[in-house]
Amino acid sequence: MALSSFSSVVLALAALQGPGTRLTYRIRVIEPDAGAQHVLASGAVSGPIDSDMRLTLRTDTAEVEVLFQVTPVGDTVSLAGEFFTRRRVGRSRRGLPIWEEDSYRRLIQVTWRDTARIYPFGSRSQVGALWVELVLEREFAGGEARPAESFDLADSTVDFRLEAVVRPRRARVILNLVRGDTVSAPRPMDLVPEQPPRVVQLVLRGRSTTLFVSLTRPEPARSPRERGLGREADVVCLRVAAPAAPPGQTLGTICGRLNNIARQLPLPSGDTLTATFAWPGWR
Amino acid sequence: MADTHEHWLKQIDAELDGELPLAERAALAKHLATCSHCAGARASQLEVRVALARSAGNPHAFVVPRPSIRAGTLALWVAAALASGLVGGWFASQRWGGPGGGSALEETRGTIVVQ
Repeated sequence: MALSSFSSVVLALAALQGPGTRLTYRIRVIEPDAGAQHVLASGAVSGPIDSDMRLTLRTDTAEVEVLFQVTPVGDTVSLAGEFFTRRRVGRSRRGLPIWEEDSYRRLIQVTWRDTARIYPFGSRSQVGALWVELVLEREFAGGEARPAESFDLADSTVDFRLEAVVRPRRARVILNLVRGDTVSAPRPMDLVPEQPPRVVQLVLRGRSTTLFVSLTRPEPARSPRERGLGREADVVCLRVAAPAAPPGQTLGTICGRLNNIARQLPLPSGDTLTATFAWPGWR
Repeated sequence: MADTHEHWLKQIDAELDGELPLAERAALAKHLATCSHCAGARASQLEVRVALARSAGNPHAFVVPRPSIRAGTLALWVAAALASGLVGGWFASQRWGGPGGGSALEETRGTIVVQ
């Protein structure tokens, strides 16, 4: 009996941390003001449990970009922050600003719904230094894959931005064939990155075109800053090949974010293939 | 003293002709290490011999060039360069300041604490 109740607790915990769990980062940017606390901005970012959050904060003399990553460990959660900062340290002889760049990592163990206080510009004891309050929440969400961001800026003098950083497990790709001013019927497909190619047939003016398409992830960004901030996280690439082509030989590759913008690839037949990448719908 | 130099100059001549026995060559080497006058005379002799050999059709004859800067002069230049570098660095630090505006790097870095 004891064993079965233990198993049910383990199963419940596993279910909470599985793909159906949604993670939310709640943020408040606070500036101390004569003993009171003045909320400059607030917002929330949510997504699947492996979602990261990118926070950007700029003032006249400093700029901080942080990528927060969360790893659930039992009832607690490990919160890691990859910090990339630029600070103005003076002016050159010709009056141009001189900036200093720095990158470092911070890691902290918290429990769900704990409030973590982040001092992005350091100097905890410094009077007037603003801080960011971060609360992590999780809830069951039934497999919703797309991220969501909400944002409220109370003081427009602070440049503050929140972005969800989610590596898509699958993507919705809508294919069209274009010839002159004629467009084929859209052909939507749900593709999973790094899976074997799928056959797609597009018909335009009675002529059928068969293509092999597969989804891949792009090469990692070359700059450590871009890589560390996960700028390419939601980029996918569609490899297009002719049916009789030997392995490795493609007609081309289209890369883009999941942002509903059509991208074009000219085909040897004279037609143009357009691919629109978007987040997949509910399952 | 002049007699002594005469003696060593003869020894140098014999050494360059390859006629000096091993023990006397060692004694000459020991003397040359301490006597700059004889060392200079030997170098001049060697240069004359190389010039003669070249004019006689031996293009491969060569001599290691004499150092054009003396050790004392070199030391003086090194000391002058170090001093000017220190003065320049101090002036630049006073004028434009060092990196980080003087505060410790760790103080300017972000921190995370649990409330």
